[in-house]
Amino acid sequence: MRSLTALLLALLLASCAREDGDGRTKLVLQRFFGACEAEYGSVTDISKAEGECGIITAIINRFEAENPDIRVVENVVAWPGYDQLVAQLAASDAPDLVTMHGQAMSDYHARGLIEPLDADLRRIGIDPADFTDAARDAVTIDGAAWGMPFDTWAPLWHINMNLFRQAGLVKDGKPVLPTSRAELIAQAEQFKRRTGKPYLVYASANESASFMRDFFTLVMQQNGQVFEGPRRARFRTPEARNALELFKDLYDRGLTTRNQDYSAAVAGFMQGDGGVFLVGTWMVGTYEAEANKPGGALSGGYAVANYPQLFPGRAATFAGGHNWVMPRDKDRSPAEHEAALRFLRFFADHAFDWARTGHLPTSRRVIAMPEWRALPHRAGLATLADTGISTPKAIRRQFPIEAIVGSEAASAILGQKSIDAAPADMERRVNEILQNL
Amino acid sequence: MIAVARPSRLGIALVALAALLMLAPMIWVLLLSFKDNAALMADTASAFDGRYTLDNYANIIAVGEVFGWIGNSLIVSLGMTAGVLVLSSLAGYGFARLDFPGRNALFVIVLLGLAVPDQAIIIARHQMFSQAELHNTYAALILPGLAGPFGVFLMTQYFRAIPKDIDEAALLDNASRFRIFWKVLLPLTLPAQATLGIFTFLAAWNDYWWPLISATNEEMFTLTVGIAGSQTNFAQTEGLGFLMAQAVFAGLPILIVYLFFQKYIVQAVAGTAGR
Repeated sequence: MRSLTALLLALLLASCAREDGDGRTKLVLQRFFGACEAEYGSVTDISKAEGECGIITAIINRFEAENPDIRVVENVVAWPGYDQLVAQLAASDAPDLVTMHGQAMSDYHARGLIEPLDADLRRIGIDPADFTDAARDAVTIDGAAWGMPFDTWAPLWHINMNLFRQAGLVKDGKPVLPTSRAELIAQAEQFKRRTGKPYLVYASANESASFMRDFFTLVMQQNGQVFEGPRRARFRTPEARNALELFKDLYDRGLTTRNQDYSAAVAGFMQGDGGVFLVGTWMVGTYEAEANKPGGALSGGYAVANYPQLFPGRAATFAGGHNWVMPRDKDRSPAEHEAALRFLRFFADHAFDWARTGHLPTSRRVIAMPEWRALPHRAGLATLADTGISTPKAIRRQFPIEAIVGSEAASAILGQKSIDAAPADMERRVNEILQNL
Repeated sequence: MIAVARPSRLGIALVALAALLMLAPMIWVLLLSFKDNAALMADTASAFDGRYTLDNYANIIAVGEVFGWIGNSLIVSLGMTAGVLVLSSLAGYGFARLDFPGRNALFVIVLLGLAVPDQAIIIARHQMFSQAELHNTYAALILPGLAGPFGVFLMTQYFRAIPKDIDEAALLDNASRFRIFWKVLLPLTLPAQATLGIFTFLAAWNDYWWPLISATNEEMFTLTVGIAGSQTNFAQTEGLGFLMAQAVFAGLPILIVYLFFQKYIVQAVAGTAGR
């Protein structure tokens, strides 16, 4: 008992000591995207890495190899990592750089918890003018950049071309996509008649994100405006109603799969459950790989397209993105600050490598690169750089707002609430958040 | 001798069926953990197709940090268990045997702690440890768990159940209060100590929230936080096999604890049910 107590006391005291320096500048990078040390822990050839986790691990490995004066401490946190970041900021122990969704940035900015990076980015040769509109919007607040965007994601139409052919919806080797609400219903009915399957593979169970993305996309396509300022949202609009009615109509007519959660819908599309799966940029690589395997429902028959314009307003798709931001830390030394900027420059130089994940690059230079356009399906997705639109940065609490919008839209589309009640509830709940900031 | 009635075949069949139903999710998790992620992404029913791999477990072990996470979890769980046993025993003895002003009021205050959820105090606690610059230390991970009203309550009740005649006999033999506690009463509370120790260890091992916001540097991650961080964004879809292997891996130490202390755990649960 005495020795156990002594051991515990020794451990407690030892644990209170801070880490010793080793002469190199310490750079603490905090990120999500998972850990894949087993496969990529020692990989420095970035071209050999695949997937978000593999590529970001290889980029960091390569950076450390090429910058021997910097010791990278990589903190891999559970997605999305904001509980930890908030705790670190409260304890004045923030990392030097952290991955952050565009939707989260305005909350950290409003509380003065992140550093402006405009001048720093210019100083290291990253011109914010080279960013796509979607990427620049994702990090710009009050005219200044508060982070370095490194990708844009948006919902896409992933298409089973084998079923589309069977449904007579392929012309000149390309999928025939609707250009209006009426065309969508007509094509979906035709698809169901000829294939016996629903047109849309639809993740509707235990899911709110996809409902939110589709809802905002369709409202934007009608030039609808949800936010009338930082403290006021309006959902009881004809645009919101049209968006909900369209998906409810598809659902009620049996033109979507039913009772699938996200994982089941991902698998269902692979197994040929339906013609179109509305999911983000991150699935392009997976489905392309599936299409290259023999014997599957997608074999030799996979295409992907930007969200078609279904309303005569404008071509628009709800978009988001991942960014590197620098949390405010009064104890960060100039050397650590410089190390962080060197990493940002390095990451920007490897933007093409990151773009292999399937996400859209944030740099117009990369989008114009023949190498990027040569990647499967990418050339057709390039217009997303102009049509991808995120929620205005003036709006705070975007994560909970998106959850409310998604769950209310789901209630309306799945018939748990009326089309009138859902937007009213969205408006009430979102405004409660915005007006109590 | 009391004759014990043999269970009927129907009874055995019902119990076996219930056991199978309870085991089914665990068996499924185990099967999924031996499957290739890509195969599961295409079809989770492939868990039953007979083609299995050890890759997911190899990938866990190949992550160098995982053994550090296990080490941290062991230090925290054992440290917290030892601390709770010491403090709860002393406090329980005090409340049960010593007469001091405000004893009943203090006991009520301790019991009120059972009604205060972690969520209500987490911010204040985080600030306290922040001001003491203790985050990312074992002290921060262990100390909050030592304030365990359940342990104090359990040990108080257990000490109260021991006849006072035993203390009085020892007093007649000139034993000091501490000697009575240490040599006479404490050994009698071993079943309660075992129960409390096992529950404390399990709770500390499985704790996620406090380590998530206190141990923010990777070298201080416990197993639960480390494993959660190593999951990809859509792990439930794109890395289901790995996810399940992590669940099995994280649960193994608990299974080992159960195998070693099975007798005490069963006694603890049966004792609780019987009271």
